[in-house]
Amino acid sequence: MPRRAKNTHRRTRAARRPQRYKDVLHGRGGHRGDAFRCAGCRLDVSLDAPGTTHRNHCPNCLVSLHVDRRVPGDRAADCRARMEALGMAVRPDGEWMIIHQCVSCGALSANRIAGDDNALALVRLALKPLRDPGVADRMRLAP
Amino acid sequence: MSSTSRTLSSTPHTTPNSASSCAWCGRTVSADADHSARRRHCPSCLQVPHLLDPVDGGSSDCRGRMSPIAVAVPRTGGWVVIHRCVRCDELTSSPTRADDNQLVLMRLAVRPLAHPPFPLEAFGDL
Repeated sequence: MPRRAKNTHRRTRAARRPQRYKDVLHGRGGHRGDAFRCAGCRLDVSLDAPGTTHRNHCPNCLVSLHVDRRVPGDRAADCRARMEALGMAVRPDGEWMIIHQCVSCGALSANRIAGDDNALALVRLALKPLRDPGVADRMRLAP
Repeated sequence: MSSTSRTLSSTPHTTPNSASSCAWCGRTVSADADHSARRRHCPSCLQVPHLLDPVDGGSSDCRGRMSPIAVAVPRTGGWVVIHRCVRCDELTSSPTRADDNQLVLMRLAVRPLAHPPFPLEAFGDL
C-alpha cells in the first residue's frame, strides 16, 4: 500500500515553517542513543523514522512519554508518565497530528504522524469521535 | 410585539456579570445556562481566549485566540474540543455542551477523513 499519496495540490510546502532544529540529547536520560522502548507495548523503536525527524511515539500503539514541558524537545518535564493518543487533528496543509494526553497529569501535546505509523491505529483514532454513541443525535443538525 | 416584550422581560433573569460576548464572533452567551459543566468556549465559533496556563496552572498573559483544531473522545466518553493558541501554540481541551454549534463540531470531527495521508480504500477490505 502506498503510504503517502501524492495529493499535494493543496499543500503549500514553500510557505510552511521549517522543522525545528533537533538538539535533543538522546541517551542522557539513561536510554540508548538511537532507539527507545515503548512505554505501552514494549516495542523497541528506532529513532530514524520515514517522513519525520521528531518521532516521539510508538509506531505500533501510538503511545508517547511525557518528557517535554512547553517546547517540544526541551526534556524539562518531571512527570515521565505515559501519554496516550487522544485524538487526531489536521494541520491546514493536510498533515495529520496526533494529540497525546498524559495519563498522569492530563497535559496535551501534538506530534505529526510518521511514515511507518500503524495505519489501522491512525484511522481508528480518527474515527473515534464518529463511533461515539451520541453521534446520531448530533447528525440531526436542523431543529 | 408580545414576543419582544417577553424577551425583554426575560432579560433580568440572567445577571449581567454571568453573560459575556465572544471577542471574535460577537455572540453574547450566558456563562452557565442549565448545564452542570461550566462553559469555556463560544458555542457558535468554538473559540476561547487564552486566559489560563495549562502547563503551570494559574492565569496566562498571552490573551491570544485559541482556535479549535480537533474533536477527541476521552475515556469518560463524550466529546471534547482541542484548542490551540494561534500565538503561543499551547493546547487546551474543553468538553462540548448541548448548545454548541453541531455543524462546526461535525466539520472538525470529519476533517481528518477529508485529508487522508494514505488511501483509505484498503480499509474497506479489512
